[in-house]
Amino acid sequence: MNLELTEDQEFFRDTTRRFLESEAPLTTVRALWDTTDGLERDWWSKAAELGWATLFVPEEHGGGSLSGHPVEDAVIVAEEMGRAAAPGPFLPVNVVCAALAAEGSADLQAEWFPGLLAGDTIATWAFAERGGTWDADGVALRAEPADDHIVLDGEKAYVEAAGVADLFLVTARTGADLTQVLVPAAADGVRVTRGRSIDLVRRYGSVEFDGVRVPRSSVVGEVGGAAGAVERQLEIALALQCAETVGAADRVFEFTIEYAQDRYAFGRPIASFQALKHRIADMLVWLEFSKSIADAAARAVDHGEDAARLVSVAKAYVGDRCLDLIDDCVQINGGIGVTWEHDIHIYSRRAAVNRAVYGSPEEHKERLCALLDV
Amino acid sequence: MSESSDGGLESLADFGERARAWIEENLPPAGDESVSDHDLQATIFDAGFAGIAFPKAYGGAGLTLEHQKVFFDTAESMVRRVPAGYMVSIGMLGPTLLDHASETLKLRHLPRILRGDEEWMQLLSEPSGGSDMAGALTRLTRDGDTYVLNGSKMWSTGAARADYGLCLARTDWDAPKHRGLSTIAVPLKDTPGLTIDPIRSVSGLPGHFCTEFFDSIVLPAENLVGDENAGWAVAQALLYYERLATANAGHGYGLGMGGANEAGFGGRGVRVLIDAARDRNAFDAGAIRQEIAEAYIERTVARFAGDRVMTGQRTGHYKGQWGSLLKLHLGADSPRQAKIGLSIHGADGVIWDGDEQVVGNAGELWLNARGISIAGGSNEMQRNIVSERLLGLPREPSFDRDIPFNEVLRNRANFKT
Repeated sequence: MNLELTEDQEFFRDTTRRFLESEAPLTTVRALWDTTDGLERDWWSKAAELGWATLFVPEEHGGGSLSGHPVEDAVIVAEEMGRAAAPGPFLPVNVVCAALAAEGSADLQAEWFPGLLAGDTIATWAFAERGGTWDADGVALRAEPADDHIVLDGEKAYVEAAGVADLFLVTARTGADLTQVLVPAAADGVRVTRGRSIDLVRRYGSVEFDGVRVPRSSVVGEVGGAAGAVERQLEIALALQCAETVGAADRVFEFTIEYAQDRYAFGRPIASFQALKHRIADMLVWLEFSKSIADAAARAVDHGEDAARLVSVAKAYVGDRCLDLIDDCVQINGGIGVTWEHDIHIYSRRAAVNRAVYGSPEEHKERLCALLDV
Repeated sequence: MSESSDGGLESLADFGERARAWIEENLPPAGDESVSDHDLQATIFDAGFAGIAFPKAYGGAGLTLEHQKVFFDTAESMVRRVPAGYMVSIGMLGPTLLDHASETLKLRHLPRILRGDEEWMQLLSEPSGGSDMAGALTRLTRDGDTYVLNGSKMWSTGAARADYGLCLARTDWDAPKHRGLSTIAVPLKDTPGLTIDPIRSVSGLPGHFCTEFFDSIVLPAENLVGDENAGWAVAQALLYYERLATANAGHGYGLGMGGANEAGFGGRGVRVLIDAARDRNAFDAGAIRQEIAEAYIERTVARFAGDRVMTGQRTGHYKGQWGSLLKLHLGADSPRQAKIGLSIHGADGVIWDGDEQVVGNAGELWLNARGISIAGGSNEMQRNIVSERLLGLPREPSFDRDIPFNEVLRNRANFKT
């Protein structure tokens, strides 16, 4: 939650917030729980009209960053999505756009950017595998060059929006190295198993690639040369995810503080009890420190300085502290806080899923030790 | 040189370049103790880099806190030594005097303070109370052109070496507690009626803390800082600057660090832990790896939080006592960091060969780490400030706010629930 947004960024934040308030209120989020996909395609097209998929895309393809720092721009939307517990494949679409912009051939860009920007095409990143780690070591799916094709064999798991995706950016292994390939969901041999998460609207799925043959021109970057791009995608994903979790915690903290002042017991607002005030003070530390490191991580990813370390610091800190904050707010809300009727669980759900996806705080502490040469 | 040709402030970039060039030539490498802190401070002052955010009229550079941050960040990145002993005098007392002292006192003392020629500290807590500072019992009585000071103060950092203490004392015993206090500058060197006793700290050595006894000390009336009976506002300002400085923010930025930022990005404290773990081959224990990462994470995040608070104060997003938020984190985190030290060092952290006391081992650091959770207002006081002042939650009910201080309860015998 950048304290020094540009005028353009402030305008973008305000339009994003207004759109989510009118087009994705929590009543809508609750209604989407009953749907298979947790998303209406028309809705995503409307969101795309606001420029949600343009930030990482070069201007010649109709994109453009507001500030010249696309991650700092994109976290504005992510924070608002967190505050609204909103639906929509904002994170995976932007990760794929960023990869395509940085590494994709001119042909691939011309083929896919128009649909992605308009919201007609939904792309997602197929990265992790079942039981594996959220890093390059966890990638076992094979990508083998065969004549002018690439053949993919293996299975991806925890793929966000897998059920609605038209396009997968698949991170695969060629020998000891990494290769990334764009694979249309409609390609022969691709089998999607829809899944759910504890989040009301965020769906995940498994995707099987059974001898899938795609033209060699579908490779994003070089065969065996994707390690740097994969790290970069992970950093962008973590920056966006942390911003979203912070947004969720910010909103929960806001309405919980209100409630604690409105709710009376023993003739006093419960917010006047030191037992609660002191916990709330600790929560403000967690919240403000989470905002600080989430912003720092976004900046670092944009500027390419210390990004690997700072995204892991951010994920480890935000992943735990914001979850604890929301959980402690459940306690302050009392009995109503553990009912379906109350909104807080919608945020608890989002925070718990975000904690796990792209690596848990524990995994990122381990990654940090490796980066620190410990 | 601090103004550009159009009369505006020197840009951060220009200042950074000028600072870098000067630091290159003039500051010793970190760890080089061949010059004293005072000589180093005087060199910095004479070059116009002391009190960077203080007005030029009082010896400062007339720039901003951001320029100060640039100066110390540059020195740190160049691994140069800066003085480590002026956080209290320059970082806390300096801005308090700037806000509240008379023009006479400011012109006389601030340049000396900024040059390190004169050291100031605070005389706030008393043997009868630290957290309840407004319950001060030290008595200040007007007598013509002078005041007479009687009573005692405690937990005063640096009193044994400082030149002046800013003392909170009661001038009106019939007024409610906060409205009968005044603050006055007390000379601490060769002052008749003054006794200063260092307190033996938990390490067993004489600590930085002292107890002071005032036996009818006569002070010129012009030493009063702020109006008579308006001392609580001055003490509040002092605490405000203390919490910022303790957390390495505000006017205290860079002043307590000695050129290697303890709280910094992968700060020295954490690097020491990492080196120790490496030496002990403790890395294979997954739990210890998690704890090392935890130590690194907390310190790294704290640094960005400090930056955020400074930015927010500049942009107006954060008004009021945000230093308390940083201080609360530091007070909660320091014992945690020290305990991680115990985990890593194991038996070697608490047991050693020979008959000499070792002061820097993990056990002693752990014993000392609670200090920061208490000094400058305990964690509990910070939690009250954060919840009441920053979030606007209801104040604690109190029994002593609006009655004459004479009638405030001070012992168990008369307490009824």
